[in-house]
Amino acid sequence: MKTAITLTINGEPYDIIVEGRTRLLDAIREQCNLTGAKEGCSTGDCGACTVLLDGQPVASCMTFAQAAQGRHITTIEGLAQNGTLHPLQQAFMEFGGLQCGICTPGMILSAKALLDQNPRPTRHEVRFHLAGNLCRCTGYQKIVDAVVAASERR
Amino acid sequence: MATTVVGQSVARVDALDKVTGRAQYTGDMKVPGMLHAAFLRSPHAHARIKSIDTSQAEALPGVKAVLIQAKLAGKVAKVVDAAHGTSMDFQAFADKKVIYQGEKVGAVAAITRAIAEEAVRLIVVEYEVLPALIDARAALQSDTLIHANLTPVDGPDGRPLHNVLNATHRVDGDVEAGFAQSDHIFEDTYSVPRVHQSYIEPHVAIAEVSPGGKVTCWTSTQGIFSVRSNLTNTLDIPAHQINVIGMTIGGGFGAKWGGVVEPYAVLLAQATGRPVKVAYNREDEMLDGRPAPGAVLTIKTGVRRDGKILARRAIAYWDVGVRGAGSGATVRVRGVYNIPNIEVHAYDVATNKPPTGAYRAPGAPQASFASEAQLNKIAGALGIDPIEFRLMNMREGPEVDFKATLRAASAKVDWPNRTKGPDEGWGIAIGEWTNGNAPGSAVCALQDDGSVKVHSGLMDITGTDTAMAQIAAEVTGQTLDKVTIVRGDTDSVPVAPGSGGSIVTFSMGNAVKRAAENVRQRILAVASDMLEVRPDDLEIINGQVSVKGAAGRAVTLAEVATQAAKTTGGPITGNGSFAQQPSATSIAAQIVQVKVDRVTGKIWLRRSVQSLDCGKAINPMAIEGQMEGGATQGLSWGLWEEMAYAGDGRNLNPGFLDYHLPTALDMPDLESVLIEVPTGNGPFGAKGVGEPPIAPGIAAVQAAIADAVGIQLHEAPFTPERLRAALRAAGS
Repeated sequence: MKTAITLTINGEPYDIIVEGRTRLLDAIREQCNLTGAKEGCSTGDCGACTVLLDGQPVASCMTFAQAAQGRHITTIEGLAQNGTLHPLQQAFMEFGGLQCGICTPGMILSAKALLDQNPRPTRHEVRFHLAGNLCRCTGYQKIVDAVVAASERR
Repeated sequence: MATTVVGQSVARVDALDKVTGRAQYTGDMKVPGMLHAAFLRSPHAHARIKSIDTSQAEALPGVKAVLIQAKLAGKVAKVVDAAHGTSMDFQAFADKKVIYQGEKVGAVAAITRAIAEEAVRLIVVEYEVLPALIDARAALQSDTLIHANLTPVDGPDGRPLHNVLNATHRVDGDVEAGFAQSDHIFEDTYSVPRVHQSYIEPHVAIAEVSPGGKVTCWTSTQGIFSVRSNLTNTLDIPAHQINVIGMTIGGGFGAKWGGVVEPYAVLLAQATGRPVKVAYNREDEMLDGRPAPGAVLTIKTGVRRDGKILARRAIAYWDVGVRGAGSGATVRVRGVYNIPNIEVHAYDVATNKPPTGAYRAPGAPQASFASEAQLNKIAGALGIDPIEFRLMNMREGPEVDFKATLRAASAKVDWPNRTKGPDEGWGIAIGEWTNGNAPGSAVCALQDDGSVKVHSGLMDITGTDTAMAQIAAEVTGQTLDKVTIVRGDTDSVPVAPGSGGSIVTFSMGNAVKRAAENVRQRILAVASDMLEVRPDDLEIINGQVSVKGAAGRAVTLAEVATQAAKTTGGPITGNGSFAQQPSATSIAAQIVQVKVDRVTGKIWLRRSVQSLDCGKAINPMAIEGQMEGGATQGLSWGLWEEMAYAGDGRNLNPGFLDYHLPTALDMPDLESVLIEVPTGNGPFGAKGVGEPPIAPGIAAVQAAIADAVGIQLHEAPFTPERLRAALRAAGS
């Protein structure tokens, strides 16, 4: 059964039609045309679909779109403000924290959630909070370097 | 020759798009009218198909096509997989028999993925289940054949071996004479599991067929020309009627080559007259990707008491599933050592498991594990330091310096003075690789504003677009920010090799360098007329062509471009081609420190140091990225990853919940050391670097565990369960 809902993404309202079973990931990608969140595993294990719900990272492939109504959804597309990159985005570029880039939107959002509540994390704390975002290309070394560098610039 | 742009750790040219979510991966694309596909897959590892009834599926609203093999009769219906070294053709869909769980029996295209999946469930198939051969050793002894045309081959002991797809035999010297001269003989067997490359973006392709039959295919691939060849060979469509567009790729590591999903996208597009997206999910990947084969290797080595290796014999069985190849890599047991007598007998064994393919340095991690683990054991038995043992046996030669690479890793950890606490240990291993070379061409064009464009079919998986930009900037003298790499499709650019085999920085780097040199020569010729000096008196720095020693006399590249259009030579466009020039071997050395928890068997990674000879570091940060990623994959193969199968052939861990990939928390800081021993044929001396780093990790961590608790594990992955069992057996 189809229902009309409104999702607030990066501060903007999106009026869409979903079914009860529609995943938040599909609503964001297919109907809101925000394709930064990716589908890597479909079982909530890889973190490529990570978006922030009221500032907290969630696996959007394991979240129903209807459950996200009334919440503030942040996707990677909402990080840069007025053309200025978030320090995390800048640091990931500068420190080589990405290669193929498929994990990058989710990884940056998880890192943002960390820095928003813990502005100067240790390397271990960075690793702990990114443990839900798999990366197959980098071995995580330069991702950790980038997050620490971004934290030192805020 | 000092360089200004080449050698800099500049950010990837595609980084901005990736950190903002703007990068377009194939799954992000929408083509108007696009349909979605789902596959009907065999639930059984081995069964006869007695009947298939698609009528209910076809009747489901929203379904536009249901394909099974019978419906392809009269059309070409085979899928060629020559890219992975297997010459066996196979049908698009199984029709009489299925030989692995997950094998495609049919496909549906529908207006949504959900409807397609529902339609798949409505296809009724009657199977007669047959016994499955899952274990390679069982397959070797069994009269049941995976493929009807396989004949037995002679095994190393003369007894016949069944279900052997291919064999590799190599004899250099006389190993029996070498063993006779040896003071000590060692014989050990090691096993490595089948693992999945686990790129985070599953296989995906979109195909559209025009009314005239022209195919357009957007895809996640390492090689657009390999996809075009595959579609030509598979579906008998002429190459000039196919355009393959390579989108941003979310990882490949060898698996995305030559058409795993593209033929099905085209078949469904042909059947429906609409664009069709075929997107694997993770379960599709685990059931029907092209993972790396597992192997069991038995190595017998004879050494002199002073540590000189005299002879080595390796017998190996590679479990390649229903199709694949791995036995050829067994020859890597020679490594970079001077071993006068070597004998290899290796067999690719068919089992009722998915076919296998290439994974980063195909076969090298498996063979290097067995080889290096035994060498570490031998060094320990002889009381020789494992680094000294390797140094004394290493070969030397032009354009290689294995000893310097190994010494660099040793120095980084101060190996002679290394310390360890209780249940801590250090291990060292090396892996060798020689980057390939393949034909390719590039075009370099000076724009009217002085900026430079480079056009090629290169697919960027490791940061090679950035390296190409650096090369073009270095040679043309334009600043990096004004150099754009334009990736073309198979219609618009000359042939380029696929990105794999550590081939492309070496091969396309040369093509781009030659195209840029073409452009540079023309720039200097035009500028020399403008400035009335000889070309030799000019230099190009930061987009300005100036007279050496007279900086005030200069013209910009924009001015040169404008002037060129006024000459009979016309606009400044250069091309460069490369083929058939070999590179030189490099090794990756890895030193790992672990701490073992004897109670739980858990192995903690404390430190990993890797060194690599890259010839010339075009972008050191990018090369470190390759080393760090490869080292992590090697360690993961040693500690965590394994595709597990039940006795009846079902995959037990077809997803990331139970297929264990390392997280940021599992990995220590990774320290990388670059060595530069230039190769004469590489652009600026560069060697390919993508693959060597994965080779040594399994053996390095195995050696560290042995050093920590005195247990030599022979079966990867080195799980806590296996270590606990070994500790119990040893009385701990």
